Amino acid sequence: MVTLRFSIASMALFLAAASLRAEAQRPLSFNRDIRPILSDRCYLCHGPDEGTREADLRLDLRGESALAVLSPGKVEASEVLKRIFSTDADEVMPPPESHKTLTAGERETMRRWIEEGATYETHWAYQPLERPAVPTLGEAHPIDAFVVEKLRAKGADLSPEASPERLLRRLSLDLTGLPPTEAERAAFLADRAPGAYERQVDRLLASPRFGERMAVWWLDIARFADTVGFHGDQNQRIFPYRDYVIDAFNANKPFDRFTTEQLAGDLLPNATPEQRVATGYNRLNMMTREGGAQSKEYLAKYGAERVRSVSTAWLGSTFGCAECHDHKFDPIPARDFYELQAFFADVKQWGVYHDYGYTPNPELKGFSNDHPFPPELLVESPYLQERDREARAALLAYLDGLAPTKQDSAFATWLADTQTWLSRHAEGWAFPELSATRWIKPRALDEPPLERDATGGLRLGRATKSGEYVRLVLKPAAGRIASLRVRLEGVPYPVRADAGGFRIMEIEHASGEQTTRASLHFAEANHRRPRYRNGYELDGVTYGWRLPESDPGEGLESVWVLSEPLEIREGDELRLRIGYDVEGVARIGVSPLAALDPRDLVNGRVLTALAASAPSVNAPNGQNVGGEEQARSRLRLETWLVSRTDDRARRDRLRADVARIRSLNGGKAWTLVTESAPPLDVRVLPRGNWQDESGPLVLPATPSFLPGRRESTPEHRLTRLDLAEWLLSRDNPLTARTVANRLWLPFFGTALSAVVDDLGSQGEPPSHPELLDWLAVEFREGGWDVKRFVRLLVTSRTYRQSTQYRSELREADPANRLLAAQNPRRLDAEFVRDNALFVAGLLDVSRIGGPSARPYQPAGHYAALQFPDREYINSELDEQWRRGVYMHWQRTFLHPMLVNFDAPNRDECTAQRSASNTPQQALTLLNDPTFVEAARVFALRLLESPATGDAERVDRAFVLAVGRTPAAADRERLLTFLKAQEQHYAANPDDAKRVLAVGLHRSPAVESIPASTLAAWTQLGRVLLNAQETITRY
Amino acid sequence: MTFPTPEQINRRTFVTRSAYGLGGLAFALLAQRSLLGAGSGELPADPSWRGALARPHFPVKARRIIYLCMAGGPSHLETFDYKPELARLDGQAFPESFTRGQQLAQLQNTVLKARGPIAPFSRRGQSGIEVCDLFPQIGGIVDELCVVRSMKTEQINHDTAHAFMNTGSIIKGRPSMGSWLLYGLGAETENLPGFVVLTSKGRNGVQPVSARQWSSGVLPSRFQGIQFQSQGDAVHYIGNPEGVCQSTQRQVIEEIMRLNGSLADETRDPEIATRIAQYELAFKMQASVPELTDFQSESPAMLERYGVKEPGDGSFASNCLLARRLAERGVRMIQLYHRGWDHHDDIVGGMKEGAQAVDRATAALILDLKERGMLDDTLVLWGGEFGRTPMGQGTGRDHHILGFSLFMAGGGVRKGTVYGSTDELGYRATENVVDVHDLHATMLALMGVDHLRLNTKFQGLDIRLTGVAGKVVRGLMA
Repeated sequence: MVTLRFSIASMALFLAAASLRAEAQRPLSFNRDIRPILSDRCYLCHGPDEGTREADLRLDLRGESALAVLSPGKVEASEVLKRIFSTDADEVMPPPESHKTLTAGERETMRRWIEEGATYETHWAYQPLERPAVPTLGEAHPIDAFVVEKLRAKGADLSPEASPERLLRRLSLDLTGLPPTEAERAAFLADRAPGAYERQVDRLLASPRFGERMAVWWLDIARFADTVGFHGDQNQRIFPYRDYVIDAFNANKPFDRFTTEQLAGDLLPNATPEQRVATGYNRLNMMTREGGAQSKEYLAKYGAERVRSVSTAWLGSTFGCAECHDHKFDPIPARDFYELQAFFADVKQWGVYHDYGYTPNPELKGFSNDHPFPPELLVESPYLQERDREARAALLAYLDGLAPTKQDSAFATWLADTQTWLSRHAEGWAFPELSATRWIKPRALDEPPLERDATGGLRLGRATKSGEYVRLVLKPAAGRIASLRVRLEGVPYPVRADAGGFRIMEIEHASGEQTTRASLHFAEANHRRPRYRNGYELDGVTYGWRLPESDPGEGLESVWVLSEPLEIREGDELRLRIGYDVEGVARIGVSPLAALDPRDLVNGRVLTALAASAPSVNAPNGQNVGGEEQARSRLRLETWLVSRTDDRARRDRLRADVARIRSLNGGKAWTLVTESAPPLDVRVLPRGNWQDESGPLVLPATPSFLPGRRESTPEHRLTRLDLAEWLLSRDNPLTARTVANRLWLPFFGTALSAVVDDLGSQGEPPSHPELLDWLAVEFREGGWDVKRFVRLLVTSRTYRQSTQYRSELREADPANRLLAAQNPRRLDAEFVRDNALFVAGLLDVSRIGGPSARPYQPAGHYAALQFPDREYINSELDEQWRRGVYMHWQRTFLHPMLVNFDAPNRDECTAQRSASNTPQQALTLLNDPTFVEAARVFALRLLESPATGDAERVDRAFVLAVGRTPAAADRERLLTFLKAQEQHYAANPDDAKRVLAVGLHRSPAVESIPASTLAAWTQLGRVLLNAQETITRY
Repeated sequence: MTFPTPEQINRRTFVTRSAYGLGGLAFALLAQRSLLGAGSGELPADPSWRGALARPHFPVKARRIIYLCMAGGPSHLETFDYKPELARLDGQAFPESFTRGQQLAQLQNTVLKARGPIAPFSRRGQSGIEVCDLFPQIGGIVDELCVVRSMKTEQINHDTAHAFMNTGSIIKGRPSMGSWLLYGLGAETENLPGFVVLTSKGRNGVQPVSARQWSSGVLPSRFQGIQFQSQGDAVHYIGNPEGVCQSTQRQVIEEIMRLNGSLADETRDPEIATRIAQYELAFKMQASVPELTDFQSESPAMLERYGVKEPGDGSFASNCLLARRLAERGVRMIQLYHRGWDHHDDIVGGMKEGAQAVDRATAALILDLKERGMLDDTLVLWGGEFGRTPMGQGTGRDHHILGFSLFMAGGGVRKGTVYGSTDELGYRATENVVDVHDLHATMLALMGVDHLRLNTKFQGLDIRLTGVAGKVVRGLMA
């Protein structure tokens, strides 16, 4: 019965299917035609995953069980065909409850395949990589030969080349993320010599902007971010890694070295700081310090994430599912997942970055929510070094410009008085009489005052408890006090990791009836442990001094400089509130002197500079003095300037300059790195459950389903270096295919295999498999040379053709996969911003790298962040208009502009961004102050130029924004619009003023332009910066 | 997934587009691309998204969800799950038979002692359901509620537990519940985001919450939740720039659309039609959001009823009133986070404060919806990402995942009932256990969606809100 029904039904279906497909008779390919059907509809129950396999049948291999039901060559006997053509709900495959069905066409394809012998092929991506022959069509460029061959088969051909202005804009945006300047555009349009286009390619590849552009691509893959992602999403210090990536692309570091350094730079012999910075890659997984989190659980999460990221980044494979079970569609057993994870078992990391009582981490004793995330390395940052040099030079130039002349009696008088004072206070400090009592507000405790030792030092006794403090009353002599000094002696070492603090919490000056609060400007100590706020080291000890844990071998000195020197009269008191958890003796002094570096008041430098033997007056502008004497005279000068009370402006300027220099940290920065530690045990976790220890222990090994497997033995454990070696070896076909395919994407809009993060069976077979293989081989054998590869892509005719939509190919190739035209591409989030700022003339491209910048961001965006609470302070002028690649990347609350334009939060490896088109994007371009300010500065740029009239200005605006002049009708409309806006703002001058106040940018040129004109042109700037053509590369 | 037929693509936008010099060709291309883009994983470009599901799978009981997320994890033992036996054991060692081998958070490596309920319970309403006296107003509407006392989850820390509750997974990139709904069912409003998130904060037990919780993950970003802010613009960038009046803004937008129309004529790039429609929509949102957040039309009595002190102050009460206004305007998913339930310390003070912040407004919202006839097709969910231990932790309770409570009200929910229970100490859900996937499957079913048939492809997998699990809990449904 069943058989009879089958044959009648199937006959009808066979006929229907045959008429459905006109081109049915091309030879079948398992990979192209069959695997997608099997993988999507059958593998769930008859695939690689043993755990869900039904009826002991697996169809992913041409094994015994498959052959039994396929019956190759015998259509009538095939159980598979019987089932897929069946109309009986109990019998049909796939079963109705799977919600999967085969189309008539697919059933027919299966029938033909079985009829033709049911041959299998290795999945295309896992096949050995060999260089295919380039089709001989007379195409000069190999890419074009492959593309044209396919197009011709459809009776089509490439589109004509894009117009020179569009082409240059496209190339420039693709290679650097920025449009061409007017001069670059003019030069290209004028260059009629052969090779003009190639010259542009070479110029752009050599531009430092190339590295910044390519970094955006890689940083998504590497999941680079400035914060840890989980829970409190605290800052992590890692920007040198981002700069490493930029530098690598600019220096054209071969991709194999780039890979090895990131995965295993620390294991290279004599690893350089650069190679160790690269290993920040392994540390970019999300981390937590949430109270109550379990170290083991989170280490499992971190380990699993690494497998997902590494396998997506280099293998274009989705290992993720194998965390819990054998992969359902690809031949990835769960064991492979953990063997890959085991390569990273040595990466030093803590599951929970805190030392909670319930999850003790003795190595992190004393950690708070403000601490960084070790291990870290202190490295030189060229950006900071340059800033540091500039800041120091500027300070010196300023100081030298202030040098007093012989006639300046104020300086001479001050110096003489100071020398007199110093002659009576040999150490440079006066030690006033003092008394000390313990208090808990509002009153003193019922305890005797703190003791003094024989020389007047204060015995600190026990630590102050929470809420308790020691109140010090000093009775200084009349005169000026600019600084306080605290010297600690007899501290018992070692100091506990979570102790050793000393803090001046309050200073009051009591004079007669009056009591005034004095504030601290800045305090510093000769030895201290770092303290942190939200991951960054605090400057100085102003908010507390933590003593070093071990004995530094000399006295512990701290100097606390007051914001304003105090004028003390006879009988006045200085009352201090201090707290500490350190034992020993404190010696507290006062001085009429301040210093830019407070330590100079205790290390002898100021004393030497002010000594009576020194010349009393500086030579003007540092003439005829050099070396030490110059340094001394500058120190005298700055000490005078910051110790006096009558020249705040200069003092504040100096203090600000010095604070800036301190913030540059001598050109050095900390960065997360990989440190190798004894490897943790890695075992197969049944269903990914970290609490289940029943699975076997595994050692590092490369995936079992890929060629050239490398396995550890008990005697020889493979390392991350071995993993990198295998990834890049000729055995492994996936790295070259994955990267070549992915590099295609930014230049053509769709990758050759469109699902760039899955080259497995659920991904998509490439549109041009031979081309992809040719490119992959070319990339690998060309020495993994990224610039050479990119040059290859962009010099093809395929790349250079027009984006004009080919409506005649709509039917044959709706998604333009055959590449009969270029694809328009909306700029990535960072470049939407860069482009607008560049068009305005506002983008700062003078420097590469450096700490992440903070552009304007809506208030309260971080309101839901805690531990610690977060305040967003936007960057100052010199860092406000940096490129998007430098924007602070807060994983849990990414900058809304970036979110709105589809930038990923980089929780994990992202190989492809979505390209949405939403009202939020319109709102951002219309109303985000960054874009409004850009429009305003753009307007100013246009109005400042010597153009003769508005029409000419509109033309220039167009050229700057979109690289071409406008159509006459568009020009006319915009002129009308301008006129209306100018009238509006002339009638509403307050509105005009408000338009001109948006943003930090200030220019004196504004003064010479009527506000209404500038406001109107700002509106025109907004129109252009919002235009689709501006945010799209055509 | 199913893609809309050409007929489903909104004809109205075509007319709008024509006004800006965009020919019928471009529109035809747009429609074409929407359909054919399917193969490469693209979604239709039409801005007025009507949902991936051509028609609901089940009868639609609820058209929208208001999810009152009690972030931090409120104690079930001081809300809806009265345990006299736990009260009896107060202060004594917690029986090890319950806790052996179970995961703990901050109570790791400590001696476990039982803590009895800190407040009395009373039977309320016709149904006589026991509700903690800290919540008198919610107790007053208990006959509207379906209280679930047998919830369990898998994640014991806030961040991951929220992720699990919102997306059914802790793997990054999974879309949140609201994104799924928007993707599957589309929105009933064009002038407001279809998925809105509001946050408020208590004084005790406050924990951070990440924007990841309302991310659309691997679904296109148009489906992400839009967070409303309590300071500055309600929605980022919704306000005109300084010195730009509504008329100038309109003219600027018109010029943008005109230029884009010219470009479309030249390049025939189908994306442009969408862009033009998005500017139109953005302009509408610029008017509709301020109208929405302006409480002028609400009577003083209404403000009083919700307990709103200062309209728009970002309080839970104000957010509840705003939630009702959003629901009235067709927003599909409205999610309120009240951060203030992580009572490791001082649970006595913390629960009192938390209850005061949410009790009245929660009850007012449900009654208000009812009076407006909206409760019938609005699903209200109240609950945290987990519960709290029946063991004490200092003066508080630790995180707990094996048993906790929440309630549902409104569209399609079985009213005045209790579903499931925990053991006598409130440690483990024992009867009619509802896990997070079951909750999701049930919520989707109430919205007319078969959780097995709302999916998207990512990295070769059909991913779903319920992963590979989840069953519809009929016992929660009317």
